[in-house]
Amino acid sequence: MPVGTPRTQAGISIAIARDPSLVRTVRLVAAAVARRASPSEDLVEEVRLAVGEACAVMVSGLSGVVTEAPDDKVKLQMDIGERLYVSLSCASDGAVSYSTDAIDPWALLRGLTDDLVVTNRDGQTAVAMSWAV
Amino acid sequence: MLFVRSGTLCGTEEELGEEAMVDLSLDTRHENGHTIIEVSGEIDVYTAPKLRDRISELVADGNYHLIIDLERVDFLDSTGLGVLVGGLKKLRAHDGSMQLICTQDRLLKIFRITQLAKVFAIHESQADALAANGAN
Repeated sequence: MPVGTPRTQAGISIAIARDPSLVRTVRLVAAAVARRASPSEDLVEEVRLAVGEACAVMVSGLSGVVTEAPDDKVKLQMDIGERLYVSLSCASDGAVSYSTDAIDPWALLRGLTDDLVVTNRDGQTAVAMSWAV
Repeated sequence: MLFVRSGTLCGTEEELGEEAMVDLSLDTRHENGHTIIEVSGEIDVYTAPKLRDRISELVADGNYHLIIDLERVDFLDSTGLGVLVGGLKKLRAHDGSMQLICTQDRLLKIFRITQLAKVFAIHESQADALAANGAN
């Protein structure tokens, strides 16, 4: 894109296999998009942490039917508008499993963002978050 | 192919080479009856098992007083917190201790949100941690 061309408001979406080594890539993409939305490094860091946390839960912490089907992915969608909107989704039965030593990941997410909605519907778990930009 | 680091497009994957792929490194040393683990990189769902294994090995070898230096940690999620909590439980079973070194606001915030700031002894430096635990 030539320098000076207005940036698109259209969002980005990526999908990864349920492989823990790919969560870092999702975090990096989330931080890059957040940086487009706001110059605040505090916000960028918050988005990076929240997206990484949600993605990690979906990759490894959600119990349920995990298949080898091509669409068994964790999907991330980010849109920049009046706010920065982030959603992640994956196939699951909605139950979060974690060891007795682990911290409730939804609790950490709730502490990271004021706007968090977790839904379980039709075999899909979805996390929606947004930040003022 | 462009590669992204800390949210910034910064070069090709080939240019970054190994550095781009290194997620977590652990340097361990012994000092005044304590074992210090200096952690660098990102502690997440992928790398946390490496830290968990190191702590387990140290405990199995009879090292019950650990100081974990998080000053060079760029990222910590609930999986990493779980590893620290699990390690603390193991050490306490041997009347041991775990102390953390952390001054980064972004990490301290995570400890506060999860109320683990009340569980862990968090110090500003290795010297402070050694002094607090009565090292001589």
